[in-house]
Amino acid sequence: MSEIQSSVGGQLSVRDASQISLVDLLDRLLGTGVVLAGDVLISLAGVDLVQIRLHALITTVRADMPVPRNLQGGGTDG
Amino acid sequence: MTESQPEHGRYLFAFARGLDPARLAGVLGLRGAPLEVVEHRDLQAVVCSVDLEEFGEDRLKEHLEDMEWLEEVARTHHDVVYAVSEVGAVAPMRLVTICSDDASVRGRVETLHTQLSEALSRVEGRREWSVKVYATRPAQPETVDAGRPASGAAYLQRKREQAAQRRSTGDQHLREADEIHQTLARSVVATRVLQPQDPRLTGRADTMILNGAYLVPTGETDGFRAVVSRLAELNPTLEIELNGPWPPYSFATLE
Repeated sequence: MSEIQSSVGGQLSVRDASQISLVDLLDRLLGTGVVLAGDVLISLAGVDLVQIRLHALITTVRADMPVPRNLQGGGTDG
Repeated sequence: MTESQPEHGRYLFAFARGLDPARLAGVLGLRGAPLEVVEHRDLQAVVCSVDLEEFGEDRLKEHLEDMEWLEEVARTHHDVVYAVSEVGAVAPMRLVTICSDDASVRGRVETLHTQLSEALSRVEGRREWSVKVYATRPAQPETVDAGRPASGAAYLQRKREQAAQRRSTGDQHLREADEIHQTLARSVVATRVLQPQDPRLTGRADTMILNGAYLVPTGETDGFRAVVSRLAELNPTLEIELNGPWPPYSFATLE
């Protein structure tokens, strides 16, 4: 089981990574890993990976995205 | 007489060594297909059959733009690789690599035997950890309230100051990221710096200043965690995120 620890104000806190983010996953599955050349029927070698990431980008910009602080209206930051 | 197109291919998840196929029981491949282990010499390839109607070159490009499709394939790929990494040395494949049949898979193992063996030795007994560092977003330049510049020269002067400020913030981030990376590098076997993720991808306003991968022996996980923890204490204005363990995607590469 994977886990995520993140620090806020210098303190690391742990949470379970029950679901790895798609962005993190594509970082590795499209950017690293063994690439085979030669006698291979299908591979992504000839596909524009930047383009795929761009699409990932567009679809991950969703309504549940946190609003940057400086765009939040009024109130004080807790 | 026409030769018919093959209907199925062998999707490669990973190469492995020392794998007991029985320990992968219950792990499914793509679209519910059973996982199979193709043996050649002392190495193994973990594969499943896929329908070339779905994974063939013609449809693949369309599918790759379909995030739901891509996500499902990526998650299945990762789940299989992860399961393999729990029971043997693993060299994960890049997403979507398909051979025509087992003979072709064995042919790849034969040709790449030395490189694959070296890659597997490099990562055996080690796991990959991801460390990402975010800088708190710098304050926006006060362009709105600054009033109308008295002259063109004043305007240019202000622009120059803003650019200098952005540069020095950028320099500071580079230094901080480099220091953290160097400290982490001293406590691990190997490192790889990945491209920082675009804020539009992370959905965060904070700038990612480091996206590092670190290869850590399984017995030294706690020590590595302690180093990250210490770095977090030393850098309270940064956010450090430790994520793992990952199969050694960034390190089991060929050459």
